[in-house]
Amino acid sequence: MVGNPNTGKTTLINALAGSNLKVGNWPGTTVDRLAARLRLAGKEIELVDLPGTYGLIPTTPEEGLVARELLNNRPQTIINVVDAGNLERNLHLTLNLSEMGMPMLVALNLMDEAEAKGYSLDPQALERELGVPVAPLVASRDKGVTALLERLQQGVVPRPQVKYPPPIEKAVGELAQQIDHPSRRWLALALLSGEEVPLQLPEQVLQSAARLSKSLQDSGIDAYLEIENARFARAHELARAVITGSEKRLTLTDRIDKWVLHPLLGGPLFLLGMLLAFRFTFSFSSPWVDFIGALQEVLAGWVHAAHLPALLSSFLADGLIGGVGTVISFAPVLFFLYLALAFLETSGFLARAAFIADKFMLLAGLPGRAFIPLILGFGCNVPAVYSTRILNGRLDRLRVAMAVPFMTCSARLVVFTLFAAVFFPKQATWVVFGLYLLGMLIGLLTAWALGRAAGGGSSSGLMELPPYRMPTLRVVVKLAWARTRSFLQGAGGPILLAVLFVWMLLNLPPGASLQNSYYARAAELMQPLFATLGIHDWRLLGALIPGFVAKEVVVGTLAVSYLGSAPGAALGFVAGLAQIASALWQALLGSLDAIPALLGLPHMASAPAAGGDLRSALAGSLTQAGALSYLAFLLLYTPCVATLAAIKNEFGKFWAAFAMIYELLVAFGVAWGVYRLALLFGGG
Amino acid sequence: MRRVRGLGGGKRRLADLPEGTPAVVGLLAMRGPLRKRLLALGVRPGAVVKVIRRAPMGDPMEIAVGDTLIAIRHAEAEEVLLENPPGDD
Repeated sequence: MVGNPNTGKTTLINALAGSNLKVGNWPGTTVDRLAARLRLAGKEIELVDLPGTYGLIPTTPEEGLVARELLNNRPQTIINVVDAGNLERNLHLTLNLSEMGMPMLVALNLMDEAEAKGYSLDPQALERELGVPVAPLVASRDKGVTALLERLQQGVVPRPQVKYPPPIEKAVGELAQQIDHPSRRWLALALLSGEEVPLQLPEQVLQSAARLSKSLQDSGIDAYLEIENARFARAHELARAVITGSEKRLTLTDRIDKWVLHPLLGGPLFLLGMLLAFRFTFSFSSPWVDFIGALQEVLAGWVHAAHLPALLSSFLADGLIGGVGTVISFAPVLFFLYLALAFLETSGFLARAAFIADKFMLLAGLPGRAFIPLILGFGCNVPAVYSTRILNGRLDRLRVAMAVPFMTCSARLVVFTLFAAVFFPKQATWVVFGLYLLGMLIGLLTAWALGRAAGGGSSSGLMELPPYRMPTLRVVVKLAWARTRSFLQGAGGPILLAVLFVWMLLNLPPGASLQNSYYARAAELMQPLFATLGIHDWRLLGALIPGFVAKEVVVGTLAVSYLGSAPGAALGFVAGLAQIASALWQALLGSLDAIPALLGLPHMASAPAAGGDLRSALAGSLTQAGALSYLAFLLLYTPCVATLAAIKNEFGKFWAAFAMIYELLVAFGVAWGVYRLALLFGGG
Repeated sequence: MRRVRGLGGGKRRLADLPEGTPAVVGLLAMRGPLRKRLLALGVRPGAVVKVIRRAPMGDPMEIAVGDTLIAIRHAEAEEVLLENPPGDD
């Protein structure tokens, strides 16, 4: 299945495949792959949905996939999905496909929208002109889907469509002769336009192509423009033949845009929409994260009840169960995030949000869509890194992913509020607010600098504003689940390893108290370096190490190292089951609660979980200037292991390592600057 | 073949087109991926283009070409030259 973006291809494959729909990734990419196996008239067929594309010559990696698949894994039939309400542009792609020399048929989808726009269409005319079966459809309402299935095997190679100016036709003929591939005409045209094709061709073909385009150029012909013009002219002609009547009507999209993109209301509506998406993700997932936490506690309780040797029992309860729990607790967050993103994207709202935010993001040389990952970063950096997928082009994705970890996630907020309350009781809000701003500033600077380093080409703001549509719920849920699963598979291992590593530092050598553990020794090694930041206490430094696993753990570790640890409580089997049941009940209730909470006002984070003992213990350990530099360091230093795993998943090992080292250096530099400034203004 | 007016001497730019006034695209005065993306979306010499609205902060702008709505930045629209209206040579 090939077609322009937003032609309802996903809806169509869902309608055709029913429950056979399989969602995964294209090998070696993060691009979603939808496919289904069907039995049709005794034959097994596989339907594959290729990414939406405007042309076969790619301008983004996703689009590149289409020509590569078509040329290298030739399908038996191309189903060209065409938006009936946007014929001329869609038929341009149809004409490209017609030159591939493959059997095809046209699924003329969204007939209902074409009608609402005031168009009367004659699908038969298109069938006559192209010489291939044309099936009119409303995939979202299952209309015409059976008829399409029946004609699925009647696809034929279209008759020649586009007539190019004679010198070009001559060159195409000459070049095509030398190409041993069924798509030779399309390949010859692409080569003469000066494009690279995703297919291994003999050296002599490429040489002929270069010679022929040179001679066209010498006779004053811009082959690329002439070829495109001829195709557009034919698409125009075809559209005129199919459209039998048109009266301009105001569409639903026009009416919604009047409000959403309103010069005054647009901004506030945009912020409200972002707030809703943010709260949807975190309000609906947090009951389930809590449930996983409760499960973890019960399992740990059972381990303690088994009276194993202390070290083993701690390894199982804190290391293994804790680690696996950490991994799994990301699943609900990611699942709901993907749901929210898929809804924003397929409904058409995402493009509008990007439109509104574009000017602001341009300051950092980023496209408007970059706003979404950065906003999500305030909740949790991990889903924010994954949400960079909504951007076009790897460079933009990478730049935003490098900026995301500087956004103060809710885990860091817990630590900030504790320290701010202890050291700056009067100005706590301002200190926390200042840290938010500092993080944002450094994140945007990072994205800007990376753009500069990569050649300075500021990203393009060009994009289609697609019509508003209702997403297909089943596909959206399947996609969200497939992506969540890919996180668990890809990032689970590294996170678990990091948790186990920190556990070993804290608990080895066997039998040692915390002051004598490897953990304390590592912290002491860090002391000379951090003295320049005004931080001397080894316990504060040590807490940075488990902070690498998850930033909120810093508070817990501080509590243990200042106040001593509480032994894990044993738990009976039945009592444990009861706790699980009640936690599940709480989670279900919490999900219901999240619905009205979505519409309420956001309430700021509740007070940190640490008691007064820790506060007074901390108060003597740092000066105010030292506290500021500690907070700045905590804000900026290396992203937590889950974020790093997400970066590795999306961008590879190199960039994960880069993020880690770069952010350590930035954190150190900024913390030093903050400390010096604070001393200067008499904070010491 | 029809003559493409405005070539070289194109004075009007898409960036300056008032909202709601249709105009004809004359020349895409840029190279590289932006030009390809514009062509793919249907912004090509000879196509009729209309500015629907500008974003709250004045940039980017929303244009309509055929049945397609497109967001384009001011700086990008400066490189899309328009043909002169008939009788205004």
